[in-house]
Amino acid sequence: MTRPESERREARLAWLLCAPALAAILAVAVFPLGWTLLESLHLHDLRMPWLGRPFVALANYTEALAQPRFWQALAHTAFFAAASVSLEIVLGLLLALGLHGAFRGRGLARTAALLPWAIPTVVAALVWRFLFEGPTGAANQMLVGSGLVGEAPVWFADARLAWVPIILADVWKTTPFVALLLLAGLQGIDAELYEAARVDGAGALARFRHVTLPLLRPALVVAVIFRALDALRVFDLVYVLTAGGPGTATEPVAVYAFQSLLQDLRFGYGSALSLIIFGVSFALAWAYIRLAGASLIEVER
Amino acid sequence: MRLPRALVFLGAALACGSGAPEGIVVSFPGSALGAEAELLQSQLERFMALQPEIRVVQQRTPDAADQRHRLYVQWLNAWADDPDILQLDVIWTPEFAAAGWTLPLKRFEPDTSDFFPATVATNSWRGELHAVPWFVDVGLLYWRSDLLGRAPRSLDELLDAASRERRVRHGWVWQGARYEGLVTVFVELLGAFGAAILDDAGRVVVDSPQAVRALEVLRNALDAGVVPRDALSWQEEQTRFAFQNGHALFMRNWPYAYPLMQQPGESAVAGRFRVTALPAAPGGRPSAALGGSQLAINARSDEPDAAWQVIAFLTHPDQMRERAERLGQYPPRRSLYAGDSLAGALAIPPAEARQVIEHAVARPATPVYTELSGVLQIWLHRALSGQESPEDALAGAAREIRKLLKRSGLAAETRDGMAP
Repeated sequence: MTRPESERREARLAWLLCAPALAAILAVAVFPLGWTLLESLHLHDLRMPWLGRPFVALANYTEALAQPRFWQALAHTAFFAAASVSLEIVLGLLLALGLHGAFRGRGLARTAALLPWAIPTVVAALVWRFLFEGPTGAANQMLVGSGLVGEAPVWFADARLAWVPIILADVWKTTPFVALLLLAGLQGIDAELYEAARVDGAGALARFRHVTLPLLRPALVVAVIFRALDALRVFDLVYVLTAGGPGTATEPVAVYAFQSLLQDLRFGYGSALSLIIFGVSFALAWAYIRLAGASLIEVER
Repeated sequence: MRLPRALVFLGAALACGSGAPEGIVVSFPGSALGAEAELLQSQLERFMALQPEIRVVQQRTPDAADQRHRLYVQWLNAWADDPDILQLDVIWTPEFAAAGWTLPLKRFEPDTSDFFPATVATNSWRGELHAVPWFVDVGLLYWRSDLLGRAPRSLDELLDAASRERRVRHGWVWQGARYEGLVTVFVELLGAFGAAILDDAGRVVVDSPQAVRALEVLRNALDAGVVPRDALSWQEEQTRFAFQNGHALFMRNWPYAYPLMQQPGESAVAGRFRVTALPAAPGGRPSAALGGSQLAINARSDEPDAAWQVIAFLTHPDQMRERAERLGQYPPRRSLYAGDSLAGALAIPPAEARQVIEHAVARPATPVYTELSGVLQIWLHRALSGQESPEDALAGAAREIRKLLKRSGLAAETRDGMAP
């Protein structure tokens, strides 16, 4: 038989052709990760070259885990992810339902709704900073002008209020993205199902609960995982808006790792932090896909 | 770490043009904008006319101090032999010297007798001079001479006038953002209370009762509305705008703001303000933070002698006087303050300027200053934004700074046990 022989040759050729791509992946993904791991096991402080670069095993990891600032940063990240993603899903769903209906100028509305998503994060963050900065910022003028508050709050000087512009900016910027994903999901739902539900006497709310939501579940799962992973590594938005301040009250882990690695130039400690973040994100994504995967199978049944 | 070094070579190669480099080339990075860049260029050209065998090549570096610092650290960690000359901020010298990145200058037999002692002290490490002071910056208290009859003579007088002021929006403005400027504001208050971050033996004393009182003054001024809460995100320029637009009675800032605010078209307070040192609290003395720029030689430089000649030329009294006259930057040489030669150039009469600089307080001279300052910035900002009491914040800062010094092997308690 000549066929298996030719197949084997084909397989060899395939590996050969893939080799450059595999080498590239090794070089850009596996090698840096391995290097970071190696760094994280050493004391390597560019600001203190007299200490050398001794092997310290897990000392960098134990230092991070003993640091209140690290746990606070982790809590900030979790809070930001929970608050921004839940708002984005709710608002994104409403936006998607609105854009799904047939009305005049739908194409234009869909394009316009996507606009915030197209603006670079740093630019968007700067705009939101101007909106909230100072007593003459637009946000404060609106609040004071409408009589909602007597005195203009100083958003960036308050450990709690500083979250407001951060979360609003993220919701403003990424809700369109969520809406787009959900809109695609909505369009995949067979219109006949709604007809059938209506014939059975289901009201609008019942149709939404029993037809739209279950069938939208795969799209929702994808939207949540995309947004949650994005939110967990939030950096630029916070860096521009508050730089983690006041104090470190809004500092997420990515900003903390950046400060340690590139500001304090503590390569060993910063590498350990980066790997911890990587581990947390990876574990969360894995757990979520396992859970969501199960629910996807349920839907198909 | 390879990359920045390659960039240095690339930069030098481009700067040299197509011809092979001839004679001695000295590279010199530094931040230089506008008038400052023009003056440096003309001084370097004069130098090259006098010393035709030496060519000085300027390298552009970021203007923001912390970015420049990071770039230097990366170059020097890679033991790059370029740049030859380093322009250092006053707080960097001990760090670079302890790392072995700068050349001890003793072999050139520099004469430092004319310099302000504090500027020599901050540029020395373990008794050896590592950088030559180029120009001095001091923190000044700007006050509205049209609203007040005279400058406040004590800190209490300042706070009293600032809290009773109703004609302008803010009593007092300073740099309250979480960055180096906040530390200089705090260091001045510490000086006014006779407190310090580290004592002479290098022990951490930033949690002393006097230091807590200094921080309480800043916090209370914010809570009472004497200082606007927005100042917690202000750097030098935002404070200048507030004062320049006539909204503040007192401002803490560097001398650069003086000529800018004297321009009648631009400034609402031209001719209506004066400057002084921060007045003392009981137990302290009038206080100003010491800043400024120094010149040092890369320990790996191929041309240390030529580099020294450039530094000696730029820090010669003639060039310093020209810098003061053209840019209003204070010279570190005391002899230049005698007579009236600088009378028109500086913000305050030369004799007064000399007094302020003589009393200026230096920030801690430690190789880990940058990290120490980072810790302090966070805790100060927490206290000022009401997340911690001043006492708890300084206790937290002291705890972390002690840990930092211990980690660096430089703690006063352990220093004697360390290898030299």
